[in-house]
Amino acid sequence: MLEVRQISKTFNPGTINEVRSLQEISLSVEDGSFVTVIGTNGSGKSTLLNAVAGGFFVDAGSIHLGGRDVTRWPEHRRAAFIGRVFQNPFSGTAPSMSIAENLSLAARRGRSRGFGPALGARWMRELQERVRVLNMGLESRLANAIGTLSGGERQALTLLMATWLRPELLLLDEHTAALDPKSGDKVIRVSEEIIARDKLTALMVTHAMSQAATLGDRLIMMHRGRIIYDVCGAEKHRLRPAELLARFEEVRRGEQLDETAAEMLKRTYI
Amino acid sequence: MTLVIGALSIGLILSVLALGIYISFRIFDFPDITAEGSITLGAAVAAALLVSGVNPFAATAAAFCAGSAAGALTGVLHTKLKINGLLSGILVMTALYSVNLHVMGKSNVPLLSSTTLGNYAEDAARALGMSAGGLKLLGWDVGVRDFSILVGVFGAIVIMGFALDRFFRTHLGTAMRATGDNPQMIRALGVDVSAMMILGLAVANGLVAVSGGLLAQYQGFADVQMGIGMLVWGLASVVIGEALVGVRSLGLAIVGTIMGSVLFRLLVAMALRWGLDPNDLKLITAVFVFGALVLPTLLGKLRSRKPQVAHA
Repeated sequence: MLEVRQISKTFNPGTINEVRSLQEISLSVEDGSFVTVIGTNGSGKSTLLNAVAGGFFVDAGSIHLGGRDVTRWPEHRRAAFIGRVFQNPFSGTAPSMSIAENLSLAARRGRSRGFGPALGARWMRELQERVRVLNMGLESRLANAIGTLSGGERQALTLLMATWLRPELLLLDEHTAALDPKSGDKVIRVSEEIIARDKLTALMVTHAMSQAATLGDRLIMMHRGRIIYDVCGAEKHRLRPAELLARFEEVRRGEQLDETAAEMLKRTYI
Repeated sequence: MTLVIGALSIGLILSVLALGIYISFRIFDFPDITAEGSITLGAAVAAALLVSGVNPFAATAAAFCAGSAAGALTGVLHTKLKINGLLSGILVMTALYSVNLHVMGKSNVPLLSSTTLGNYAEDAARALGMSAGGLKLLGWDVGVRDFSILVGVFGAIVIMGFALDRFFRTHLGTAMRATGDNPQMIRALGVDVSAMMILGLAVANGLVAVSGGLLAQYQGFADVQMGIGMLVWGLASVVIGEALVGVRSLGLAIVGTIMGSVLFRLLVAMALRWGLDPNDLKLITAVFVFGALVLPTLLGKLRSRKPQVAHA
């Protein structure tokens, strides 16, 4: 279970480039819950994922994962419990190394890495079986360098790598945004399958309203470093992309008023 | 013939240096100038120990440890204290100059009266029944000592190359390669990138120092100036190796680097024989590496420009 308590993060404090990316955000995600996160550009959705993964330390608040306080843990230490897929297909794999080597690196996520051979015979057999699940014909190209694969194939592999050892939390950061629609759909389908099969706890940032509305059992909308909308259960299932868009419009209209006026109006009418 | 055997031996000894440079430059993509200091450090440590009668194997191993420490220090400066990579290497290299002088006690330590690995190789050859006078190889007279050293060095390099190839296929070794290839990815897989970098630079400079230790034993002295230009020398070997065998696989790259070092040494020996001024050697080496680095991109540009001309 993930528990984020009152975290804040300001980038470039005290300069003209000051950005208050996260403002006292609290969020708790039950085990087995699949949460989609949407929000306008710069709303802090990717920053939230990064804060949880440990890409930076938060200015205030705390982050707990499975009962452990990981607030001050460096990224590589949290990685023992967190699987990640990045937006950029080039980020999640080592391009000059083979598919088999990449997967074998993932199979020791958070474990000790000693002098055992990375590609043993038994391991190669297990590898083929699990890569076959992707249905991309990659099992016959295990010795090929990752750099020769397409973006969609890379993202699917990164997903497989992130979930090779069951993570306590899976973080998907707009992982289909850089793909063409067809590969994007394929990767989304594989994501859904793996999350359902392994009953994973997942946070997925997306900018596609349809994905946000149809996937997962909970939806969070962020704006200006805050969570402004949070639905789950039956209400989430009834949600349609059109309604989400309407919500977005609402936020954008609120934007045209100046901050304090909007705050005052909200207090009076909501 | 003695000249060829000498060039081969030195080429093989320096291929250990080239392998170290391959690790820092190619695997970690880190321009590690520490090598210029750690090759001398290896020579200095080995020489100082040999003069005081330490077993040559132990002296060479000590050279490795000293070089590793220097490499690790550069790694710590760069990763933990956030000093620019090039500057970290320069700082350690500069400091090592004084350290090396202290280790040796003077600027040049002769090893002519000490027992070295060369003596071991010669003794082994004698034990195998080679005559003291020399032997015929392809019709040329070859000294037993020169020949046995060449064979010994060759054997050692083969073992080292194999060990290195094996190492980079272990869990630890693949994590190290991935650190150079995509640090963001390997961090997300739970690897401490700083620790990997420090470890990698330690191994690289350990190898460089072994090369220095072997070189001192081969030429019979350690000199505080012997590291100058060695980095570019090693880089030249790596570049030649890549031209010879390509960069398709790790094993090939290791073999290529060794071949590159030997070939480069042979070319240099020939050039010197034909009257090249030794003073120009470093200039020519630098120009050579410059050309090898620039030519591929230049040729690529020319090639990509041609079709456009055809369209117009």
